[in-house]
Amino acid sequence: MRLPLRGRLARTLAAFGLAATLIPPVAATTTAADPLILRAGTTQTVQGLNPWSVVDVVDFEIMTLNYDTLVGFGQDVQPVPGFAESWTRSADGLTWTFKIRAGMKWSDGQPATSEDARWTMQYVLDATTAGRTLGLGYLEPYQTAAGVTAVSAPDSTTLIVKSNLDNPLLLQSYIPILPKHIWSKLDPKVASGTFQNPAPIVGSGPYQVVEYKPGQFVRLQRNANYWGQQGAADQIVITTFKNDDTMIQALKKGELDYARDVPAAQFDQLKSNPGGPIVTTDGVSNTFYELAFNCYAKPIPGGGASTKAVQDPAFRDALGYAIDKQAIVDKAFAGHATVGSTQITPFQAGWHAEPNDLRAFNIDTAKAKLDAAGYPLDASGRRLDKEGKAITLRLAWPGAPEEATAASLIVDWFAQLGIKVNAAPEDEAKLGAELLPPEADPPGKANFDMFIWDWVGDPDPTSLLKVLTSAEIGASSDSLWTNARYDELYKKQLAETDAAARHAEVAEMQQIMYDQAPYHVLYYPSQLDANRTDRFGGWRSQPSQNGNPLFGFGPLDYTYLTDAKAVVVPSASPATASPGSSEAAVASATAPTSSAVPSTSGNTSSSVPLLPLGIIALVVIAAVGLLVLRRSREAAEDE
Amino acid sequence: MSGRYLLSKVGQAIFTIVMLLILNFALFRMMPGSPERILGRNPNVSAEAIAATRERWGLDKPVFPDQFLGYVAATAQGDLGFSFVYRGLPVVDVLADRIWPTVILFGLGEIIAIVVGVALGAYTGWRRGGLVDHLGNGASLVLYATPYFLIGMTLLLVFAVGLGWFPTYGMFQIGATYNGYLDQLTDFASHLALPLATVALGLIGQYSIVMRSSIVETLGEEYITTARAKGILDRRILRRHAMPNAMLPMATLIAINLGYVVAGAITVEVVFNWPGLGTLTVDALTARDYPVLQGIFLILSVSVVVANLIADVGYQFLDPRVKA
Repeated sequence: MRLPLRGRLARTLAAFGLAATLIPPVAATTTAADPLILRAGTTQTVQGLNPWSVVDVVDFEIMTLNYDTLVGFGQDVQPVPGFAESWTRSADGLTWTFKIRAGMKWSDGQPATSEDARWTMQYVLDATTAGRTLGLGYLEPYQTAAGVTAVSAPDSTTLIVKSNLDNPLLLQSYIPILPKHIWSKLDPKVASGTFQNPAPIVGSGPYQVVEYKPGQFVRLQRNANYWGQQGAADQIVITTFKNDDTMIQALKKGELDYARDVPAAQFDQLKSNPGGPIVTTDGVSNTFYELAFNCYAKPIPGGGASTKAVQDPAFRDALGYAIDKQAIVDKAFAGHATVGSTQITPFQAGWHAEPNDLRAFNIDTAKAKLDAAGYPLDASGRRLDKEGKAITLRLAWPGAPEEATAASLIVDWFAQLGIKVNAAPEDEAKLGAELLPPEADPPGKANFDMFIWDWVGDPDPTSLLKVLTSAEIGASSDSLWTNARYDELYKKQLAETDAAARHAEVAEMQQIMYDQAPYHVLYYPSQLDANRTDRFGGWRSQPSQNGNPLFGFGPLDYTYLTDAKAVVVPSASPATASPGSSEAAVASATAPTSSAVPSTSGNTSSSVPLLPLGIIALVVIAAVGLLVLRRSREAAEDE
Repeated sequence: MSGRYLLSKVGQAIFTIVMLLILNFALFRMMPGSPERILGRNPNVSAEAIAATRERWGLDKPVFPDQFLGYVAATAQGDLGFSFVYRGLPVVDVLADRIWPTVILFGLGEIIAIVVGVALGAYTGWRRGGLVDHLGNGASLVLYATPYFLIGMTLLLVFAVGLGWFPTYGMFQIGATYNGYLDQLTDFASHLALPLATVALGLIGQYSIVMRSSIVETLGEEYITTARAKGILDRRILRRHAMPNAMLPMATLIAINLGYVVAGAITVEVVFNWPGLGTLTVDALTARDYPVLQGIFLILSVSVVVANLIADVGYQFLDPRVKA
């Protein structure tokens, strides 16, 4: 009686087994001819291949792998040869002459000359003079800030750029030099708009994208025509992970060589395993987080700050004594951050100037300063503003856990001063809209008191300094703060010829910001990355002192990479060989395999036509269905 | 089968889909914030650039009637618009790339779960009170109560990282060189195994519990006693008399479950970085990619309506009383 039933269960399981035949336990896909692939993981999503649409770090990374910038970024983010191999500047500082290397080729074999650079810069110039934005508008400010007025290419190796601003920003321009023979055929508006720039991409950078799946990954192939040193990786795959736990597991298992943005807890766990194949890097990021105040002075009907106190520098200064930044770093980041001070991050080591008279955390000092500034306590212990109203401040932040921890600490500290804080996380886009002043388009109501948010910088401090200028109210300014001296210094440093003088001006701007405190810069988060050393060697950090190996500025970090397995083979003693020579050996050893034209390797594409797989799924469904039918017929015959 | 019954059911389904279209449009416009505001956090971006972006995506036009009419007209022509986050890629292309991985993962997962869940439920119900029942029902309860995320992460840690049998993420080994189609299929299957097991395990518990209680209830009916009295074999009683009636609640459950496919897809696909609709939903939500979200919701809601229609029609075969 029981047996048939059990027998049937067995048959059901056999049907299940039919589906299970699709699932062999071990993946065996490696063959001898496999290219050496560098696999990197990130939690950011690539937004497209059109360089005019770059937004996130991963977009910039892919753009600079594809295309050279006119001048590259060295290991300490200093100007190094890029599309141009050298440059000179006229005595008045307004004319630049770039020497473009002779015989350079695009990845499709076409000659790459000064005409390509001229065309690209003219394209940007045409757009900015016509008041048109390119793509999302992230790139053309690099050329605008450098004051470029005219470009010309008198011969194939010379590019002359005229400027009306005497500053060195042209050497840090993030504009990719595009192949004229491809881009000039496009309508200028389409080129920076809806053009997808489909793979395979033609560029002059060390690697070009040959495969792109939106939201999933990009695969890049080494450019055999690249003018610089060849990296050991034949291909680079950058995969987007929706879940950082999975990314870390993949790194541990060896399915990834590099993981960007490792959560602090996992970072410490990976770090506690020295000698293993995984190396962790606690690098400085070019980011700061600030507690910002609504400094907008004019009244806004139905909006604005809840008290005029936040517009008073003395009030903001006093609150600064009630913020224990070290406690935030310890509690929110498990120590993986740097205590903040100014709007220029330590990543920009040459520009960051620690202010004089740093505030030391002391609740009693804060209380005394509030009393002195005219904010007394009432009988029930509430702090009153100058209108005699009890101060209650709103505090918002985009919902990240680190900011939430910082916010809850600030609520406690300010409560000790008699100031109630209503803290709540807010959706990023909603918060962004709430911060808008009446000057913005569409106009906003600046309906906030305080918020915690971040800014990310460039190699040059200009962009981070700009945020706090009064000209930016209605655009990027979010504290809506104004300071005439700050504005004056901003313009002055932009046109400064003398490096020392510019440093002094930038330092003064940081001091003004710190004293006036539209922002209390809370912390500079660390960039926590991890990489494996068993497949690739030659990892170098950028900046060399405190940076990270990949996802920095420019693509050179990839060209330093060596094949970790190949390095062991050469007869020359690895101890005596200099890093440069062993890299050269690897490059020459791997060169023959990479000499294939990138596009021919397109047939190794992993994009399986999904239709056949769907059909297989349907066949399995049908098979199971038939089996069930057959069994019920069998059962009928049993009678 | 009555033609009128079928017609009215189809009519209801079409009406539901039309209402969904309207809701689908309104829902995303009611969300706070706006997609181009994210640009405001870049110090290099000018106000003009933000305005240009609004114009490009048609966000400068009034929501009603301009945006709404445009949406209805385009949807009727099968044009779902352009993705914001993937910089103007047509939504249809974005969805086409992502729908198959989810259909394969959840289609196969559902089938395995139905077959195993029904068998397990019927067996434990039949052998109610025995050791198999206690073990089977206990396991089902545990699986039912465990979130996909936990099942997935456990499988990943044990079978992918610990034992190393399966890869940890993705659908293929990207950039791999294959020796023919079978090699490629093997790669796909090994990537599919763990997410598929997660989906199946998550559903088996649910199906088995419902099937068990349904069988237990049916076995108490008088016609079963009559059948026994007639001396019919036990296995035939179970198969011919108990199972068909016990299957009714299962049909409902399976149809309802299809609605949760994307909800489930989000967690399972996120764990294994499976490139389906779930991971796409996460991306589209964080970036406020209205057109892509609308496309996903449209696919999802239409598939739920169709699944319910099939269930309604299917009842006629399973339960003669429905043929009213």
